[in-house]
Amino acid sequence: MANDLNSPVKMNMSQDAQGKWGMVIDQDLCTGCQACVAACSMENNVPFVGEVDAGYGRNMQWIRIERFWSGSFPDIKMTSYQPVMCQQCHKAPCEPVCPVYASVHSESEDLNLQVYNRCIGTRYCANNCPYQARTFNWRDYQDARQRPELVTLQNHLNPDVTVRRRGVMEKCTFCIQRIRHTEDTAESENREIRDGEVVPACAQACPASAITFGRIDDPTTQVSQAAVTSRAGHLLEDLGTIPHVTYLAGGA
Amino acid sequence: MIKSFFNALNQPLGRVGVLIVFLALLSGAVWGIAQTQKTPQQPIDFPHNIHVGVLKIPCLYCHPGALRGPSPGLPTITKCWGCHQQLDITKTSPKLVPLVQAVQNNTPLQWVPVMWIPDFVHFVHRPHIAAGLNCETCHGDVSKMTVYQTPQVINMGWCLNCHRSKTEDNAQNNPTNDPAVAASLAEERIKLTDCSTCHY
Repeated sequence: MANDLNSPVKMNMSQDAQGKWGMVIDQDLCTGCQACVAACSMENNVPFVGEVDAGYGRNMQWIRIERFWSGSFPDIKMTSYQPVMCQQCHKAPCEPVCPVYASVHSESEDLNLQVYNRCIGTRYCANNCPYQARTFNWRDYQDARQRPELVTLQNHLNPDVTVRRRGVMEKCTFCIQRIRHTEDTAESENREIRDGEVVPACAQACPASAITFGRIDDPTTQVSQAAVTSRAGHLLEDLGTIPHVTYLAGGA
Repeated sequence: MIKSFFNALNQPLGRVGVLIVFLALLSGAVWGIAQTQKTPQQPIDFPHNIHVGVLKIPCLYCHPGALRGPSPGLPTITKCWGCHQQLDITKTSPKLVPLVQAVQNNTPLQWVPVMWIPDFVHFVHRPHIAAGLNCETCHGDVSKMTVYQTPQVINMGWCLNCHRSKTEDNAQNNPTNDPAVAASLAEERIKLTDCSTCHY
């Protein structure tokens, strides 16, 4: 992370024009309230695994709030909160390892896709993900026959998103159902998608407006302009994964 | 004990028994597969041939959602009753008794969807109609059917065949040999064959 103000921005996403969709997260605005985590789970049918499975470390989230501390005791200072989700890498480490091509790259959207009906649950992709962004369905968590406590929530599932079965890997999709819906609306009105028209669930729920989403191949969008400031940086940039999520940090 | 069981199977009678068991399992499997291909029983044997073929009612009158979004919708009893309360045949025909009863009791008619796609496929009607496809291209000529039947097996190969052929750079689709048209067709082809177009 480019926490140092003087460090140069190594990669300029709008100039490289790699990819189509990008996200910018302002860590100075993030308060760590977890609203994005809740919104993401509701939008994308991410199940709540329950106490027992969470104890086994099988918790399921597509986005999580990371906390780090700097300095040594007793002068410990917490750094700003860091929401981490799938970084939608341009060169994704998860993709070449999948034996059944369930983790594939979308040529048209330049996103990492997870094709649930192909996935056989080898979990190789999750082991190869440097951001630990992938979660695995250890059980049929959404099946009301196996989870009687879910009966009260029979209508809580989003019909636009697949309900994943047991043994399937899943991860953040940049709310591709919302991208598709907006594309369809724009096409029906015979126009281009406006900047800021596609809003993922996490960005919509963020009370501090710390998350921005938009096109990165267009230098005039909010995302492209935020990504070229000196506060911008990427997670684990040295790995060369070319992530599509930019973090802003270190400002006053 | 297991050894004597296999010895018995080696006798002529035992072999006949193995054959009978095998045939029973095979016919069971064939019957099971045939069951999945059967058109489901509907609450009313709805005559599409009369409504579409004779009366020329447009498809979108009863399935209007196809213009706007993913699901075309199946008509409610209010839609049926809008026309049928004015018709004499409603009182006389025994086939329409379920409709009359449903209206009197204010209970819905539970139509069974025939064109069924699995949960992990997201199909939207609107862009297909906007691309100039007619209903009968995929759904067959319903003016010759009574209860609706699918004209073909709906699977991914069938979807992709159409997506590929519509974006092919050939004489049928691209007669002008214009490079700009060819480039946009290639872009369209990448988009229409992308996994994320239907699976998310």
